[in-house]
Order: sequence, then C-alpha cells, then structure tokens
Amino acid sequence: MPDPLKTKLKQLIVTTLKLEDVKAEDLSDDEPLIGSGLNLDSIDALELVVTLEKEYGIKIKSSEESRVALGSISHLAEFIRSRADPARLPG
Amino acid sequence: MLPAAAVRLEAAGCITGLGDTAATHAALLRGERALALSPVLGAEGGELVPLALGGGRNLDETAPPNWLPLVQRLAAAIPADEWGSPTRPVFVTSSNFGVGSLYAFRRGGDPGHLAYGTPSLCVEWLARQLGWGSTVTTLSHACVSAHLGLTLAARALHAGLAERALVFSFDFISPFVTGGFHALKILNAGFPAPYADRPTGSIGLGDGAGFAVLSRDRGEFTISAQSLYNEMHHFTANRADGAGFAACLGPVQAAASGRRLWLKGHGTGTLEAGRLESAALAAAFPEAPLVSWKGSLGHSLGSCGVVELALAVESIRTGRAPGTVGGVAPCFTPQVALESFSTAGHDGVVCTSNAFGGAHAAFLLTHA
Repeated sequence: MPDPLKTKLKQLIVTTLKLEDVKAEDLSDDEPLIGSGLNLDSIDALELVVTLEKEYGIKIKSSEESRVALGSISHLAEFIRSRADPARLPG
Repeated sequence: MLPAAAVRLEAAGCITGLGDTAATHAALLRGERALALSPVLGAEGGELVPLALGGGRNLDETAPPNWLPLVQRLAAAIPADEWGSPTRPVFVTSSNFGVGSLYAFRRGGDPGHLAYGTPSLCVEWLARQLGWGSTVTTLSHACVSAHLGLTLAARALHAGLAERALVFSFDFISPFVTGGFHALKILNAGFPAPYADRPTGSIGLGDGAGFAVLSRDRGEFTISAQSLYNEMHHFTANRADGAGFAACLGPVQAAASGRRLWLKGHGTGTLEAGRLESAALAAAFPEAPLVSWKGSLGHSLGSCGVVELALAVESIRTGRAPGTVGGVAPCFTPQVALESFSTAGHDGVVCTSNAFGGAHAAFLLTHA
C-alpha cells in the first residue's frame, strides 16, 4: 500500500513547482529531487521548502539541512515525520 | 570583462557596525564581533539571526531612512571637491539601495517611504543630501557592485572622461533583505565562521558603506589589475569545479607575479562558495595568508568591496591586518589566518568579492 505522506509530497511537488508533463505517480521514492531528471534548481528548492514549512509547521534551519531533507521523497517523508505534529500528517 | 588599467587610490573610508574605518579596524584587531543575534524581521520578530547594525540604528524602516546620519558621517570624511561635476563623477553602487522603503510601503501603505524605494529615487535623494552635482552614475551587480564601480571609475579616468572619481557604496539592511536571506536558509541562528570546514554554514548580515577617491596619478596606493568575471552558468550557483573563481583571479595573478601578498577574501560563511573560493585563492597564491572579516562585520552586500578596501588600506597603513574573526579550525585551507598578522614584508593585498549567479571580482592593492 502506498505511503500516504509520500503520495501527498509528490502531489505537493508537482503542484507547487508547476511541473509540466510530470505526474505525481511518476516520481520515484528514491531519486534525488535536486540535480536529477526533474531539473529542479535552488530556486525550486526554496519554493518547496517554504511550502513544506507552511504545510507541516516544520522548520528547516539551514541550507545544508534543506539539502539533506530534499535528498529524495523518502528522505523528505522521514524528515517531516521526525519534525511535524502527527496530527498534520495524512492517513 | 577585460581588466581595467591601474589607477591611484587617493582616499578611502568606511562605516560598519563597529564604527568608522579606524574604529572598525581596531575592533577587528581585538577580535570583536559586530554581529549580534537579533530578530530577523525587526519589530515583527522571528528567529534570532546574526545582524550588525551601524550606530545603534534600528532594523525597521523609517522615512527618511534612519541610515542617513551614518552616510552623512561617512561623507564628511570624503576629501572636498566638486563631486558630481563633469570632471569629478560619482559612481554610486549598492545591492539594495532603498528596497526596504519599498517593502515598508507595501506593508504599511505609508507613501512617505516611496521617495527612497527605487535605486534612482534613492540615489537622487542621496545626491541632494550630500551636495553632489548631476554627474552621478548608479550601478548595481549584487555583491560585486562596489568592484564594478571601481572598475568603471578607473576606465573613466583612463579614457579622459574624469580627472578624479568618487566611488560611493552603501547597503543598509532591512527586514526585506534579512527576510530574503533567511528564506534561503543561509541566514540562520549560527554565527558565520568564514572558511571553516564544518557541517552547517551560515552568514551574518551587516550595515556597510564606504568610499574610494581615485585618480590617474595621485595617491599613496595603486589599485591595479582589477578583474570582473561572470560565469553565466546558473542564476544562483557557481560552477562546481570553481573555474569561475580561477578565471577571475587570472589577470590579478599575472599582475601580482613576484610580489609577497596577503589576501582579503569574500568569505561570507557559506560552505560551498567558501570552499571554492579558498581553493582558488590557494591555487593562485599558495603562500599568501587569507582573511575574511565578515565573521565580525557580517556581509555588507553590494558595499563590501569598498568597505573592505578601506579596511585593507588601514591595515597596510597601521602595519597590521585583522585575522578571520569568528573563524574556527579546521579551515578549508591552511592559509586561512585566524589571528591578526603584520603586513610588513608584504607588498600587496588581493581583495576579492563574489556574488549570486557566479559573479566574481578581484583587484590588487599596492603602495604607489
């Protein structure tokens, strides 16, 4: 059964970054988000971080922490689970 | 950009969170840090981040801007001349000009802020306050803005378009600026430690303004082999191999051949750029001690090139250069000087600045 948080994160990425020709279900759990086939750059990362902070009430403290969190969908889900109020998480 | 021809430096001065040139230099030698943890959005609060405000100034915007007295104090140290006349042009550089005023208007709706909110309005107002004529050129190229002013002033002098030129650089931080860097996650609760090889990077932001008076043949110092280089690689990032840093240093390296140098680097405290910059400097100038002063003063953005030029001049005049205040071992390169050192025995300093989008700048400062 798909992880509901990962599914939600994929949808957030596609809608926040207005990715054309990319469907949420096409995103891999383990592919790097930055510097991969998605062609995301540092401005995309900034936009994504701001959205995630608002959506889950978390705080990403430094660019290095941001880089780790955005390592992949799996990394991101793990990071959010460790920081967010469980009530804000899906499923 | 092609390197500019050598030009004389008649006078230079600055103002920072530690005071005027002499006070700043003395405090840096004592290892003092101007940065203090302050709410990132001023009166609106937010996370505590390292900021260095000049003269007890408040971060929140006022109309007219509360940094005017600091600029006026600095301007009083500029040698008197008919600045802004056709043969005495002024080159004004900044990264942010009065953008804080524009943001204040956006938030509060007070139209009084609008008189300072764009680069042209801000500089026109400043020129009136400081009594300059109309030959004033406004330049901006992020954090290499001041170097761009120095280069274009040198070219105006050598082209016979000016007999004497004033480069005036300023950047006073505001909630717009601090909020922006905070969103980028490079302005966080940690104090900057330039060139330190550590897990998390951070910068500080500080007020800064400075001036340099240039002429073709007068002055105690020479600025030679100025170099500007833009990687055109990505609109925020540097090339990962550091080639842009090396390309900028090339012309300065050639001009500095045979000299015993010290290096005043950009060194904001970010990890990736700090690693690339220090590696490029170590490759080009393997014996030269390297310092950055932004661990104390914070990054004064577009003004840093002229602010740090004034401090480099003061270091040479007094015979002692401050070390990398706030730096900690281990550093990216063993050349990083954490403590102050004697400038005796050195016959030049290479000063560098770098900016968003892979823009790089450097010049060599020597005795005339």
